[in-house]
Formats: sequence, structure tokens, C-alpha cells
Amino acid sequence: MIFKAKTREAMVGYLFAAPIILAVIAFEFYPVFAAVFYSFTKYQPLQVQQLNNTIVPEDTLSLNLMVFPDDEGLSVEELKESFDLRFFIETDVGITLNKSQKEALRYFETERLLKDFLAGRLKEEVTVKEFMGQYVVREKDEFMKYKPNLVGFGNFKKMMDDPYFWTSLKNTVVYTAIVVPIQTFLAVFLAVIANGNIRGKNFFKLVFFIPAITSSAAISMIFKLIYAKPGVLNRVIGTSVDWLQNPATALPAIMIMNIWTTSGYFMITYLAGLQNIPDTLFEAADIDGASFWQKFSRITLPLLRPQILFVSTMGIIGCMQVFDQIYFLIENMRNVTLAFYIYRNAFEYSKMGYASSIAMVLFAIILIITVLQRKFIKEEAYF
Amino acid sequence: MKKVVLLALLIVLVVSVSLSAVTVSVSGWGNPTEEAALQEMMKVFNESQDEIEAVWEPIPDFNKQLKTMLSAGTAPDIFFVDVAWLDEFAGKNTLLPLDLYVRKENYNLDAFYKPLIDAFRYNDRLYGLPKDFSTLALYYNREIFDEYGIDYPDNSTTWEEFLTICTTFKEKGLETPLVLSADLNRVLPFVLSNGGRLVKEDLDTALTETQAKEAIRFYCDLVRKHEVAQEPLNLGADWIGDAFGKEKVALAMSGPWTLGFIRDQYPNVAEKTGIVEMPFKQERSTMIYTVSWSINRNTSHKDEAWKLLKFLSNEGQQIFVDRTGVLASRKTIAEKDTDALKEPFYNGAEYGTAWRVPTPSGNFQEANDQINSRLKDLFYGRITYEEAFEQIENNYMNWVEVE
Repeated sequence: MIFKAKTREAMVGYLFAAPIILAVIAFEFYPVFAAVFYSFTKYQPLQVQQLNNTIVPEDTLSLNLMVFPDDEGLSVEELKESFDLRFFIETDVGITLNKSQKEALRYFETERLLKDFLAGRLKEEVTVKEFMGQYVVREKDEFMKYKPNLVGFGNFKKMMDDPYFWTSLKNTVVYTAIVVPIQTFLAVFLAVIANGNIRGKNFFKLVFFIPAITSSAAISMIFKLIYAKPGVLNRVIGTSVDWLQNPATALPAIMIMNIWTTSGYFMITYLAGLQNIPDTLFEAADIDGASFWQKFSRITLPLLRPQILFVSTMGIIGCMQVFDQIYFLIENMRNVTLAFYIYRNAFEYSKMGYASSIAMVLFAIILIITVLQRKFIKEEAYF
Repeated sequence: MKKVVLLALLIVLVVSVSLSAVTVSVSGWGNPTEEAALQEMMKVFNESQDEIEAVWEPIPDFNKQLKTMLSAGTAPDIFFVDVAWLDEFAGKNTLLPLDLYVRKENYNLDAFYKPLIDAFRYNDRLYGLPKDFSTLALYYNREIFDEYGIDYPDNSTTWEEFLTICTTFKEKGLETPLVLSADLNRVLPFVLSNGGRLVKEDLDTALTETQAKEAIRFYCDLVRKHEVAQEPLNLGADWIGDAFGKEKVALAMSGPWTLGFIRDQYPNVAEKTGIVEMPFKQERSTMIYTVSWSINRNTSHKDEAWKLLKFLSNEGQQIFVDRTGVLASRKTIAEKDTDALKEPFYNGAEYGTAWRVPTPSGNFQEANDQINSRLKDLFYGRITYEEAFEQIENNYMNWVEVE
């Protein structure tokens, strides 16, 4: 054997872990680094395949020149006069030329192409890449692979002047700042109630938890009806406000909905934490004559600290990335959030590079907040 | 023995592969009725010959998924292209130009309505054949008109007469005679009818030119100043056709899809529905919404795809129109349509403008969202007209620039 036993064991181990390692590389690391790269480019997904398309050069030329090679009385000189190389490449061969490609067209041998056309030597199907490789005599590399235009920090500079970036950033921050504290403490409260000795507590646990397991699309549709002008909410409180259409009320309306949806889910986390608090502490407090509120603020809350940290971290990350409710319910561009604005730019406005750069900003914000949070709030409990 | 079996299997495999037809995949979207019609079209085509096997592969979230597939090189051979997306798809060279086939075979493009063919031209190349189309027209509820003693609108109703109808309803006590949405494509017929245009020669917006401004003002004032119109959601309806079907309003401007919807959902309302062409000012105009059958430039079966394309826009279209009741883009099929209520829509195909805004990047979506957002603000008086036009003028090029 060439390898030592220990090395062999390690190799076997890695072999077993290979599927997951490969999956993580392919679906986690690669996309992350690709997004970082794209954030410095003007990446155009629709252009990626252009050089792999196939053409029959003869047909492509016929289409461009509106003549067929066996038409009578054709000469290279005549054809050359009506031939616009750049239009031919951009429209009929089908490459959206970037700056350096435009320059490389200097080395395109038009005359040879037209001669081959008349001689009937272009009947075979080739890829656009091969075609360009054949007729561009220098700087062929320009036409071998799609290269997104690098713009350095251009996308980030653009963000500075983009009012909707700032609006969506502001919305996201406001949303997080309001939703996270409320949902965190509401969930503690629900957990304490559900953990107490009240009748039908399993029923309450179930009711609080139902929103968490319902699809956000379904919840959004229900709230759309509740918030509509002729909807339930207006009837109950006797107003006539279109809660989701009005830019002033749309975001708060979604905040309330999100708090309602997530509090039950986080309650479960706290319930687990509550089970871990030794009963002896409460017994001792009872003997000392502590009130319910004293027990809650002096025992329960401090001992739930790890859970509170966890819930607020997850809450912040979730809120910073809020997307689905906005996607389903918001129509006014003034109420969009960062995650939604990223989606819009990437998939609807065809600004993939710009979207990637906003994603980087969002990533940086979440990273900083989480690091600060872990630094200033100690995770370990007292006992 | 094993080897013999293996060899036999191999032979069977090779023979079956070489004998089997070329598969051409076709993708788009559709409601259940349309899906069934599309399946039927593929079936009829497959039975008519045995060289090509057409397969229908629907894609639900179409544009986004198609874009992803195109960039991965896994897109279907033939797919729908909404005319609103043509500039981007054609401009990025993802579609196969059909001109050479048309020329070689002398394919008759005059068999289709001309604006529909022109809708799919880009840089002098034809990138698809129209599957069907829709135009906008004015729906009115005869019963409500009779009840308030107001004359029906007709094909020659002008803007002023239209406004008078609405305000008379209001005076006689009908709270909301009209349903409107804050959508640029619904405003454009007014812009065009007033002699306005979509873009200037340099592809900057022409919506801030005088004629367009007047039209936008007229449209938004129906909600803002005259208070004769509401958005569907404010009427407890999901969309314009729903509001009309629920008889929340007497008038609505919508396409033929609304007719199909109310016939299906509100048959009693369908009986008292009248449809006339859009109100006009200087010239007739309407919006044409259309979808093409286009061929993927990256397909390895170009000729087969073209053969299928020809079927889909002829015999196939007949099946589709019969089954779904959409408007035929091919004139000979349209002539067989005896549905009187659809006439205003067909008339629109002669003078309408396709819902497609040329931009430097090919993508109009961001500008569309931004403009719609401002239309909504105008509806509710959140900004002044001057502010809205100034914002559009100053930012438009940022919305449509080449990224």
C-alpha cells in the first residue's frame, strides 16, 4: 500500500462525505462567489449562450444580403458595398458586442467570407464561436466565451444615486427595527402563558403555532382580503382605508401580519427554553414571596437569554430578507424592501449585476449586525 | 450468452433511437382550457406526420423561468414571446429570425393582420408569428344604462361624450360608473388617440410631450377630479373584468378575456353586455396585446421547428381559436368568427398599436413599474401632474438604460 493507514482512513472518510461536500461547493460556495463577481459586472444572463448558438453561415449571409450564392451576376465587390459587418455580427450572427469585441472586428476578414459565400463553402452548420474563430484572424479570444462587462464599483456608485435603493433600505431597517423586538417579546409572553397551568394550554399552543406552518402565500392572500377597502378590518373598526394601497399604512400592515405569523413559531423555541429552567428556582421564589412579575423578570427572562439571542438573530435575518409578503401584497414601489428590490432588478429589469451588488450590501448589513449582536450579548446562561 | 443479450439490447436501442422522430419541445402558459387546446394541437400535428414529435411543456412562471433556461442553454425549441418582451428577447439574439424561411418558401405573411406581424419585427427581422391577439374596447352594461336613462356609447363616442356619460351617471346617483386601473398600457390608447407617441427617435420617453400629458391628465382626472372611476380593489373586485361582472360599474375598458370571463362566471351579465370601440379624440387607437410562436435561436432542430411553427399558426390556430374563443391572428380564421360582440376587438387589429415600448436596453419593466406607481399617486392626488411629469422626464433614461 502506498498510503499510511491513517491517510487511507481519512480518504475513505472524505469519500463518504464527498456527495455533501460537492453539493455544498456547487450550490453554496460557487453561487456565493459568482454573486460577488457579478456585483462588479453588468452580467446579462440572456447573452451567455450567444457564442454557443449554431448558424449556417450561408443562410445567415443570405438573410443579411438578401441574395443567395447561386443568384446570377454577384461579385464580391458589389456585395461588399452593401455589407455592414457590425450589423451582420450583431443582428444575424447574433453577438451583442462589447467594446473590445467591437475593436477586434478590425481583424475580421470580410472579403474572405464573401468569397467563401459565393463559392458555396459555407453550407455547414457551425457554432458562432467557431465561425468567429475562422474569420477573425487576431484577438480570437474575444469571441470564445461570454465575458460580462466589468464595471468595478460602478454598481455600488449607482446605488448611491438610486432613490429606490434608499427607500427599500429604509423600509427594511424600519421593518426590522419594529418587527424584531415585538415578535421576540410577544413570543416570550405567549410561551409563558402556554407553559403555565391554564386550562386547554395545548389548544393555545396549537392555535399560536398554526400561522407558522401555513404557507406564506395563503396567509398573504387572506390578509389581502382582510386589508382590502371593502374588507373585514375596515368593517370591524369602521374606517374606509385601503390599507395595502396606501403607502403610509402598507408597511405597518405587513409588519403586523408578520408578527402574527412568526411569534407562534418562536414561541416553540422559548417553550423548549422554559422546560430547561429548574423548578427549584421558582419554588424558592415562591417561598420568598415573589410575585408573578418578579419571577418573570428576575428568573424567566434572564434564563431565557440564549433563546432570546437566538430568536432575535433569526428574526433580524428573516426580517432583513423579507420577500414573500412584499411580493404578494405590495404594489407601490415606495413600500418595497431590499430583498424584493433585488428580485425585481435581477429577474424583471434584467439588471443582474446591479441586483448582485445590492445583495452584497444586504449581506454586509446582516453580517455586521449579527457579529455585533454576538459580541455584545453573551450567549451563556447563568447556571 | 450474456454478451449476446447485451448486443441485442444495444442493437434495439440504436435502431429505436435512429427510427424515432425528432422531438421539438414547445412551451408557454395557459389556463386549463388553453392547455387542453394546446395538447390537442400537438396531438393533431403528431398524427399528421411521423418525422417530428411535438411535445407541449408548460412553464408556469414563464418569463423568469424562460430567461433562466435561455441563459443555461436548456430552453425549449419553440416558445411564446409576449410582444412586451420582444425587444429584449430579440435584442439579445435569443430568437431565430424567420425571414429566410419566409423568403425561400414564399410564405404568405399577408394572411395575418399587418399590425400583428409588425409587432414581432425587430431590426427589420421577423422573430415570431402571432399566436392570437387581444385589443381593448369599451364594455357597458345595458341594464344599468337603461335604469338611469342614459344613451349607450357607440363606436364613434369621443372623449368628451365618454366623460359626459360618466358624469351624468354620477349626477343621477351612480357612485362609480367606471372602473380603471393605474396601468400605463391602459392609458396609452388615450395618448395615441390624442396624437401622442410612446418614445422619441432617441428612445427617450415621449410621455412628457403635450399630447401625452393631456391624455394622462384626462385619464387620471376620471378618478382624481371627476371621481367617476375607481380601481377594481376599491370596488371589492380583483380586476377590471371582475368589477364589471359583479355589476359594480356601468362601464369598463378591457380586452376580450373579460368577455370570456363574464360569459363563464356571470352569464346573466353577459346577456346585457354591449361592447364598442375605445372612445377617441383625434384618431382611433387601441392597445394590441399579442403573443408569438418564436423559435429558440439555440435549437438544434431549426427546420423541424419551422415546420411545426407553420402548423401552429395555421391549422393549430384554428383548433386553438375554436376551443378557447380567443381572437385569431390569421384573417381567414378570423372571418369564420361570427361572434358579434367580438367585432370591436377585431376592428382594433386594423389600427391598434402593439403593447411594446422600444428602449435602449430592450427592457421596459422598470420604467413601467415606476410610471404605474406615479399614475397611482396621481389617482389619489398624492403628487401633482407637474411633479409626476418632471420625475418621469428626469429619470426615464435611468430606468431603461443598458445595464
